[in-house]
Amino acid sequence: MNMPRLSRRQRALANCAPITAQRMPDRSMRSAVSRAGDSTEFVNQQSFDRAVAALVHAIPIPPETAEWFSTKDLVSPSKWTWKKTVRNPAVLAIGIALVVIAGVLVFQFIGRLNDFPGSSTARKLLTIAGSTRSVLLDPVSADAGTLSDLFFMKHGLEHYDVPDEFADFRTIGCRVFEDDQSQRIAQIWVAEKRMQFFLFPAERNVKTGAALSFPGWQYVQQEGWVGAVTEHDGVCFMAALPGRERDLAPYIPNTKQ
Amino acid sequence: MLGDARKAQEIFQTTLREAALRAAHGELPKEPFWLFRDARWRCLEASETDLQAEPLDIDERDVVSEAPSQIEQLEPAQLAIWISSAPDPQRTALALFYLDEFDYREILDLAELKLSELSRLLAMGRRQFQAWLDAMLPKTPNV
Repeated sequence: MNMPRLSRRQRALANCAPITAQRMPDRSMRSAVSRAGDSTEFVNQQSFDRAVAALVHAIPIPPETAEWFSTKDLVSPSKWTWKKTVRNPAVLAIGIALVVIAGVLVFQFIGRLNDFPGSSTARKLLTIAGSTRSVLLDPVSADAGTLSDLFFMKHGLEHYDVPDEFADFRTIGCRVFEDDQSQRIAQIWVAEKRMQFFLFPAERNVKTGAALSFPGWQYVQQEGWVGAVTEHDGVCFMAALPGRERDLAPYIPNTKQ
Repeated sequence: MLGDARKAQEIFQTTLREAALRAAHGELPKEPFWLFRDARWRCLEASETDLQAEPLDIDERDVVSEAPSQIEQLEPAQLAIWISSAPDPQRTALALFYLDEFDYREILDLAELKLSELSRLLAMGRRQFQAWLDAMLPKTPNV
């Protein structure tokens, strides 16, 4: 069997193929030896090398010299230092993966820190706020506080009240729509700073059906919009505007409680 | 490396004595093969003072399957002399390779060779040794 086609480097490696299989220091050598495989030339080379090595080991060593090697290896194995360990590609890949996983977990944890009952709905509504055009709303020019009656009389929505802090804001329009969970949402557009108000049912306990309340005002952010949410009588109110928490904070009486 | 047990013994002891002195002064190099590198240079220095063989074109033959049975007929000293008479760096390459204590990367480091050089020296060494075996010993079939 002839020697298979090998690259110049593989041929060079095959020529230096270790006599004993334990001395395969790297993958390229293993690959070259595997490729050279069972070719007659390579088999002859290996048999030749083994025979010569056996003869070399039969060279007599004076006893006073031999005793130096009786209990110790000729070469002590290289120490496995931290530097070497870190440079190992497998260790490096695992390390990067762990850092990424840790980063994702920390990101999620920080995100969860600001969660409150209804926060996921509030975020969805912020996305809606960003995409709503005023033409979609029924034009209504009134104080926001007066729309509670409209919601109750026209849509049968109880406790859809705008808090006192925002009751005096002049409205441009409003509408009532259902979200993807068939919850009825009231959306109010006011003249002040492109601000929008949302009223939506508070999240409820799955077992008891009781509304999950939370204290004071809670902030949420989504796609460049910020919202401040409060809950009252099983209905959440959210004031939202494009910007950051500091843009909305002046309108909120006792910031975050 | 030397083909002479007495000289090898002297160099071995000198190398160890020097190493012990350096250790006593806390001057041991950090690289792992310094002792072998040191011993190699001492061997080369020692052999420079010997009679040098005329450079000859040595015959080369392909390694054959009967080679192991030919090699078995040799005395270890014959092999030692044959290797020690090779010019350096081939001598170093053959000695370190057939000592079977180092992998090829360690040999490259120790002998300060490139992979292509080590490969060429070993391949040439095998072919030359086969030619020498054929000249010296009859082939017996390898069973």
